[in-house]
Amino acid sequence: MSEQFQPNVVAFLCNWCSYAGADLAGTSRIKYPHNLNVIRVMCSGRVNPLFVINAFQQGADGVLISGCHPGDCHYMEGNFYARRRFSLMNELLEYVGVEPGRFNMSWVSASEGAKWKDVVAGVVEKAKEAGPFDQFRRNKINW
Amino acid sequence: MVDLEKMRTIAKETVSRDDVRYLIGWRQGTYGFRVSPHFMKGPEEAEKLIFSPLCSNNLATYLTLTEKLPVPRGEQPDSRKIAVMVKGCDSRAVVQQLIEKGIERERVFVIGCPCEGVLDLKKVEEKFPGILSPVEVEWSGDKIIFTLPDGVKEVPKGEVLAKKCLSCRYPNPVMSDITLWDEVKSLGDGNYEDVKEMEEKNPQEKWSFWKDKFSSCIRCYSCRNVCPMCYCEDCVLDRLNPQWINRSANISENSAFQLARAFHLAGRCIECGECERVCPVDIPLMALNRKLAKEVREQYEFEPGLDPESKPFQSSYRPNDKEDFIL
Amino acid sequence: MDSMKLSKDKLNSFVAILAEQKQLYMPQAEGETLKYSPVNAKVQPDLVFSNTAVPAKSVVFPQVETLFRYEVEKTDIKMPAGEEERVLLGVRPCDARAMSIVDNLFSWDVDDPYYLGKREKTIVVGLACQKPGVNCFCSSVGGGPASTEGLDVLLTDLGESFLVKPLTEKGEKLCQAAGEIFEEASSDDLNSAEKLHQEAAALISRSIETGGIPEKLPGLWESGIWKEVSNACLGCGICTFLCPTCHCFDIQDEIEGFEGRRCRMWDSCMFGEYTLHTSGHNPRPTRRERTRNRINHKYNYFVQKFDVIACVGCGRCISSCPVNIDIIEILQQVKEAQ
Repeated sequence: MSEQFQPNVVAFLCNWCSYAGADLAGTSRIKYPHNLNVIRVMCSGRVNPLFVINAFQQGADGVLISGCHPGDCHYMEGNFYARRRFSLMNELLEYVGVEPGRFNMSWVSASEGAKWKDVVAGVVEKAKEAGPFDQFRRNKINW
Repeated sequence: MVDLEKMRTIAKETVSRDDVRYLIGWRQGTYGFRVSPHFMKGPEEAEKLIFSPLCSNNLATYLTLTEKLPVPRGEQPDSRKIAVMVKGCDSRAVVQQLIEKGIERERVFVIGCPCEGVLDLKKVEEKFPGILSPVEVEWSGDKIIFTLPDGVKEVPKGEVLAKKCLSCRYPNPVMSDITLWDEVKSLGDGNYEDVKEMEEKNPQEKWSFWKDKFSSCIRCYSCRNVCPMCYCEDCVLDRLNPQWINRSANISENSAFQLARAFHLAGRCIECGECERVCPVDIPLMALNRKLAKEVREQYEFEPGLDPESKPFQSSYRPNDKEDFIL
Repeated sequence: MDSMKLSKDKLNSFVAILAEQKQLYMPQAEGETLKYSPVNAKVQPDLVFSNTAVPAKSVVFPQVETLFRYEVEKTDIKMPAGEEERVLLGVRPCDARAMSIVDNLFSWDVDDPYYLGKREKTIVVGLACQKPGVNCFCSSVGGGPASTEGLDVLLTDLGESFLVKPLTEKGEKLCQAAGEIFEEASSDDLNSAEKLHQEAAALISRSIETGGIPEKLPGLWESGIWKEVSNACLGCGICTFLCPTCHCFDIQDEIEGFEGRRCRMWDSCMFGEYTLHTSGHNPRPTRRERTRNRINHKYNYFVQKFDVIACVGCGRCISSCPVNIDIIEILQQVKEAQ
C-alpha cells in the first residue's frame, strides 16, 4: 500500500481505564497517530459485536477495543466477558477473510499513556498494511 | 433398532396423559423423500408417526417457535407439557434451551430416539430424481435401504448421510424422559477437518469463497427461524430503531447478517445442521457455526447443550481465559 | 411473423447479437444458485436446467430497488436513471406467466412507474419446458409447459435446433434484428414442436382441480385447517421470496453520511413483522393467520380483483419448503373441508 493511505480506525475505549489512559497520553504530550476515531463506552463489556461489524460496514479500516486489565474492571468482570466474546469475534472475522490485524483488542490502564501510544501506533500500522477495507463496506452498493 | 410399534404405543400413552397438551413427532411428507413435523393431539393419530433416516427436522425448534398469545381475561394459561421427540442433536437443543431458561423443564416431556444418522435430501434427490410417491427408508447397519417405486435399493451410508451426521458424536439423546430403543454407536469423532482446511487459506481466498456464498443470500431468514437456539422475541434483525443491519440484500448487509447470526450462536450452536439444510440458496452456514464451535471446544473446553445445570458460554468466564490475541 | 429455426451451433452468435443490442439476462449460477443475472456477449449459453432457484421476477421486480436518492437536509430528490432495454433469455413459461399476472397488480389503481418501466423495456424470450419438475402443476392453474402468456418469443428445443416463435411485436422486432442466423422452419419442425409440448404436458405428475376454491375460501376463514397446515411452518420467507407471483414489498430509507436513498425491497407476509403495527398490535399474530393470508391472497383476493389465480404452479414453494408445507395438499384440504 502506498504511503498516502491513512486508515480510519474506530476505537471503543472504556471510560475508566483506556479512555483515561488516552487522556493521559494527551496531557503528557505523547505523540501518536491521528487516525483514531474514539468512541467512549462505559466498559469494554458494553461493546456489542454488532458495533464491530457495523464499524467495518460504515468505513472503518481497523477496529480497536480497549479496556481495563483483567481484574481492574470498574464493574468487576465486564472485561472478562468482553475478552471471551471478542476472542471469538476475532477468529470469526479472520475465518471469513478479514485480514488479521484489522480487529484488535488491548488492555490499557489509566496510567499507561506510553503503552497507549504503542498500541495505537501498532494498530494503525497494521491497518495501513492491510489497506482500505472493502470486503463488506456499505459504500452505496447498487445505489 | 428402530421400533415403530413401541414408538407409537408410547406416543399414544403420552398424548393421552392429562398433563400433556400435544406431541411433536415426524410424519411421512406429501411426496418423495419429504418428512413433515406432526403435531399429534390425540391417540388416534399415532399411526401417522414415523422415524426414519428422513427425519432430519429438529423438532426442538417448535418448543420456542410456537407463539404464546395473551391469555384471554378470566382464563388460565395452559400449563400442560409439550411432548417432543428428539434425536441426539435435537436433545442438545432442548438442553441448551433449558440452560438459557428459554423453556421450563416441567413444561416439556422429552422422548428420545437414538439415531443412526439422517439423510441429506440434496444427495438423495440427486441419486433418485423425480420420485413423487412417498418413499420408505430404513437403516440397516452401514447401509440405507430405500423402498422405491421400482424396487428396493441399498446405498452405503457414506453416500447419502448428511455431513453433520458423519462426524456426529451425540447420536443418543443426552437428556430424555423416555428413550425409545437401545443406544447406538456414534459415527464420528467430531473432527473439524473442514474448518481447518478453510483456516489455512489466505484472506483473499477465504473472502472470495464467502463473498460468493453471502451474495447469494436472499434474506428469507429461514436459517434463523429454523434454528432451535434463535428464539429471541425481538430479533436484532427485525429491529428498525436502531437498525443495525439494513434490510436490503447486498454483499455488505448479507455479510453483516451472516456474521451476526453466526456470532449469536457462538457457544450455543449444537450443530444440528438445520440452518444449512433449509437454506434455499445452499450457503454452507455450518462452516461458520462449526468454526466457532471448534474454538469454543478447543480453547475453552466447552460444549453447549450437554449439562442443563451449566452456565451459558458467553455469560460466564474464567479469569485465565486465553488472551494471546490481546495487545 | 412465422416461426423460424435456430440451429444450436448458432446459439452462441444469437446470444452475442442479443447482448450487443440490449442488456441480456440469463440464468447464471451465483454460488450454487441459479438466478437471472446480466451477462455479456461472451457468455456460454446453457439452457439445460429445470428451473432457476430464484424466479425471473427478480429482473423486473428486483429484491432491492432505489426509488429516489436525496441529500440529508436538502429538499430535492434525484430519480434513478431510466431503464435500458433488456432481454431475458431462457425464461420458463411459468415465470413469464407470473409476470403477466403481476402486471395486473402494478397497473391497478395507480401505475407503478418502476415496475412498469422495467416491464415495458423487457423482452422475454422463453424456452418451452420439456422436463417438468416433481412439483410442477402449471397445467392445473391455467398454464402449461409451453404456455405463451407473458412471453415475447418462445423457443422450443428440437434437439439439434430451436424452433423460434415470435409472439408479440417486441418479439418480432427482436427476431428481425437477428434475422440472418435463422433458417426457415418446415411444417415438420412445427409438428415435432407441438408433439414435444404435448409430451411435456403429459409429464406433469401433480395436479389439483382449482375450480370452486376461490368461492369456497371466504367461508373457511375460521376453519380449523389453517391451524393444522401452519403448525409446522417456520415463518421464514422461502415460499414467498421464491414465488414468481409474490410481489409484496417494504419501503425503507438507507442513509450513508449525508446521502440517502429510499428503496423498496421484497417483504414477506410470512414474517410476523410484516403486519406489526406501531402500537405493538399485530392483526396476524400467529403463523395460522399468515398461512391463511398466503393461500387466500393467491386463490381468493387476487381472483376477486383480477379474475386470475395468482399462482402459476411452478412448485418452488413446495420443493423449497424445509418442513414440507405443500400448497397442493392445502388446496386439497380446502376442497375437502366442510
